[in-house]
Amino acid sequence: MSDLIAIFLGMALINNFILVQFLGLCPFFGVSKKLGNAVSMGLAVTFVMVIASIVTWIITRYVLIPFDVLYMSTVIFILVIASLVQIIEMFIMRTNYALYSAFGIYLALITTNCAVLGVTLINNIQKSYSFPESMAAALGGGIGFTLVLAIMSGIRERLELADTPKSMKGLPVAFMVGMLLALAFSGFGGII
Amino acid sequence: MNIGSIIVLTLIGIGCGIIIYIAYVKIPHKVKGLDKIEEISGALPGMNCGACGFAGCFAYAQELAKNPDIITQSPCSVAMQNPDAVKCLEKSLCISLDAAAMCKKAVIHCGGNSEVIYDYSGAKSCKAAAQLWGGYKKCPYACLGFGDCAKACPQGGIVIDKEKGIAVIDRTQCTGCGLCAAECPQNLIELMPADTKVAFQCNYEPLKNIPGRGKCESGCIHCRKCFNACEYEAIIWNKLKAVPEFDVEKCTLCGKCIEACPQNTLAFATPVAAKCEAAV
Repeated sequence: MSDLIAIFLGMALINNFILVQFLGLCPFFGVSKKLGNAVSMGLAVTFVMVIASIVTWIITRYVLIPFDVLYMSTVIFILVIASLVQIIEMFIMRTNYALYSAFGIYLALITTNCAVLGVTLINNIQKSYSFPESMAAALGGGIGFTLVLAIMSGIRERLELADTPKSMKGLPVAFMVGMLLALAFSGFGGII
Repeated sequence: MNIGSIIVLTLIGIGCGIIIYIAYVKIPHKVKGLDKIEEISGALPGMNCGACGFAGCFAYAQELAKNPDIITQSPCSVAMQNPDAVKCLEKSLCISLDAAAMCKKAVIHCGGNSEVIYDYSGAKSCKAAAQLWGGYKKCPYACLGFGDCAKACPQGGIVIDKEKGIAVIDRTQCTGCGLCAAECPQNLIELMPADTKVAFQCNYEPLKNIPGRGKCESGCIHCRKCFNACEYEAIIWNKLKAVPEFDVEKCTLCGKCIEACPQNTLAFATPVAAKCEAAV
């Protein structure tokens, strides 16, 4: 159990996807202008990460390892995640339209999100986690992603009101904030 | 090269395709009204110009599905120009629409020819030029011709007439979204009914200033010659603004007002209108 908690915290904070591993940077700058949008994007990513981890774990265990084609993992995972997201989107659209409009365009954007591909590759190839471990890693990664997106959007909402120099307004100052956040998160490296 | 990898990838690809197909066929449609929203949004232009006041065409369709009266309050003038789209909207919203009244197209109220009073060599933008003493032309209401409106036009329907230094709107391409009107720092562009036949190409400032006299060779001098020249009573003289107004119903495109105008302020609104006249 303590293993799982260590993996969870490690993925959420110490090896945070955005600020430490630099995966999923496009939503970090693209969807972090409003807190509401950022949180729903983060939750959508978490959801897809968990489901993608389940499916790719099964595929790794029962297809890739028996046929000895682990080196094909990247292309196969892209294929599987993309079709998975399509099916989920179709399912949500037809059963719960309110949820579909809450997810909006984000669910389709996640299809090609590198953080989702990253978590499946780390779970199955880099670390060869067992099923519960990969669940903990996916959940941790998703929640860390949501956390950073929420922090960033909170700061950026305040920055809109702040008196920044004209040439620094918008994206440049967001890059600076991202740098400082990454610096702060590197402090978690000392925990373990 | 390992043949197994090819087989595995092919099988997984085919498997994903089949699963998506099965999901597409088998997942039941439980949401009511989605078909209607999709039907409405199919009739809308899908260019997401935002002129209706909603966040894109799909959001507009969603609101229309809830409350069809919105279409009369904030009509989509792009859809109104397409008879098929109007029919489709009438059918799906169960209301009848007066498309001609809702359909608007942009007209620019400047014919150029205002004298240049200083060399402007700043940023190539109307907004920047207008900041400097109200523009580099003698008439403070003149079109500055850097094409801020042309950049805003999603249809590419505005070109800059280099000779006259003004923007020219191709009304055959105009969809009436109004993005150009919002962009113009001189407020020269107005959305007028699509069947407007004669365009008044001057941006008067009523009673305050008369740009026509002495400031521009094609500005209105409020002489009423067009009013007197019209044989069909299609021109009404607006006493408050001291400019002519045109009655579309009565206008026969005879062109006498355009000939009578000493300042070349009037012109046919569309080249098409002029062509029709020539054919008759």
